Amino acid sequence: MIGIVVVSHSEPLALAAVDLAMQMAGQSPPSVEVAAGSDGGLGTDAVAVAAAIQRADAGSAGSGVLVITDLGSALMSSEMALELVEDVAGEVLLSRAPFVEGLVAAVVQASLGSSLADVERSATAAMPAKTAQLAGSDEDVSSTPAPTEPPGGTSRQASDGTAAGVESAATGESLEVEIVNPEGLHARPAVVLAKAAAALSVEVSITNVETGAGPAAADSMLELMSLGVRQGNRVRLAADGAGAAAALETLAKLIASGLGEGTGDNPPAS
Amino acid sequence: MADVSLAQVNDWLTRAKESVTENRGYLTELDSAIGDADHGSNLTRGFTAVVDKLASQPPDSIEALLKTSGMTLVSTVGGASGPLYGTMLLRMGKAVGESDTATPTQLGEALRAGLEGVVARGKAELGDKTMVDALDPAVVAFEEALGAGADAASAASAAAAAAAKGRDGTEPLVARKGRASYLGERSAGHIDPGSASVTLLLEALAAALSEG
Repeated sequence: MIGIVVVSHSEPLALAAVDLAMQMAGQSPPSVEVAAGSDGGLGTDAVAVAAAIQRADAGSAGSGVLVITDLGSALMSSEMALELVEDVAGEVLLSRAPFVEGLVAAVVQASLGSSLADVERSATAAMPAKTAQLAGSDEDVSSTPAPTEPPGGTSRQASDGTAAGVESAATGESLEVEIVNPEGLHARPAVVLAKAAAALSVEVSITNVETGAGPAAADSMLELMSLGVRQGNRVRLAADGAGAAAALETLAKLIASGLGEGTGDNPPAS
Repeated sequence: MADVSLAQVNDWLTRAKESVTENRGYLTELDSAIGDADHGSNLTRGFTAVVDKLASQPPDSIEALLKTSGMTLVSTVGGASGPLYGTMLLRMGKAVGESDTATPTQLGEALRAGLEGVVARGKAELGDKTMVDALDPAVVAFEEALGAGADAASAASAAAAAAAKGRDGTEPLVARKGRASYLGERSAGHIDPGSASVTLLLEALAAALSEG
């Protein structure tokens, strides 16, 4: 599992952000090291950041370290820390993600055992996810940019310009299922679903059938939350390749069971 | 031409500490106009820690001295000035190497390396209203003075004069890097605090080299 380093001007800010993120990490959280404050006050200290990177590297067995920074000199100190560290076993990456949202997403994604690159992807998805969620709350969703890159980018045009991707999608599997959770697909059930999706051998995408939002990667908690799924909404699960049908069946059953919150007919808390 | 000694480099940092301490109010006043009003106190704390460290563990080479000083600044200054001045001193030390003297040419190369380190770290260019606006012309002036046959002390005096001119030239500029850039047009009309403090450092260097 990768390690995470949190760099902030303020130690209370860093500790509170880590506390928040750890509540979402479940039973197997990644190790998170904090380098915050300078000389007892506000500020950042490249030497302390370098030491935190060394600790996170030692605790992550060469699988890599993601460094999440707050503002201003936190990034400069982290860049300097990369020059100060010695004998680091894994890759060290400075995240482009926003501080709080990025940290929460990174901790959850890392707890799933994802690679450094996948954790960073999930962390940076926090910003467009937030933008999309706000835009979708009181306006026509179709008028807002999708949180993820639409299909049909340069790589497909580079092949032969035909609709090869559309065709393979047509041969893929999909099915629809209703969300029963009273609060919809909020953070906790999204984590449960993302964890289950990450454990599958195929990539599953999810679209909110009611609003058209998506598709979101099923193994990204933040992308799932950006779909704005409410109770009673139907979602479409889609996947390609060997094992796709079984994978969709697994997730559909989990969704129908309430993603750890029970079914709407039988709420666990009442 | 006389080489620069380890003792002179040590003297430079002692004078730098005295100068930033004396000018603490001035630096903070500049920083309160376009920053967060902590430049004077941050640098005073940092250079005081440097001088204490050098006194308790006297290094035996210019590289070791500048490395210790740079790392101490990184750990004690807090804001962006820590990594910037820390990088400058670390790169200068590396350029001189493990010797207890430096030729004037080596000192010129060290200043050039320090400038390049600051530019790489802060990603600022000339005209962005940063310490680079004073440090860049200072390094050029040092190199030109050496080329014209000056000794290290005279070259450092030329560098300090060029830095002061560069510092004054930051006043009408609109900041494009650092905290002051948040102010946009409102940053014009104030001298950049970083350009002022790097000028103090170069004046301290000229003073240290003109003695001993």
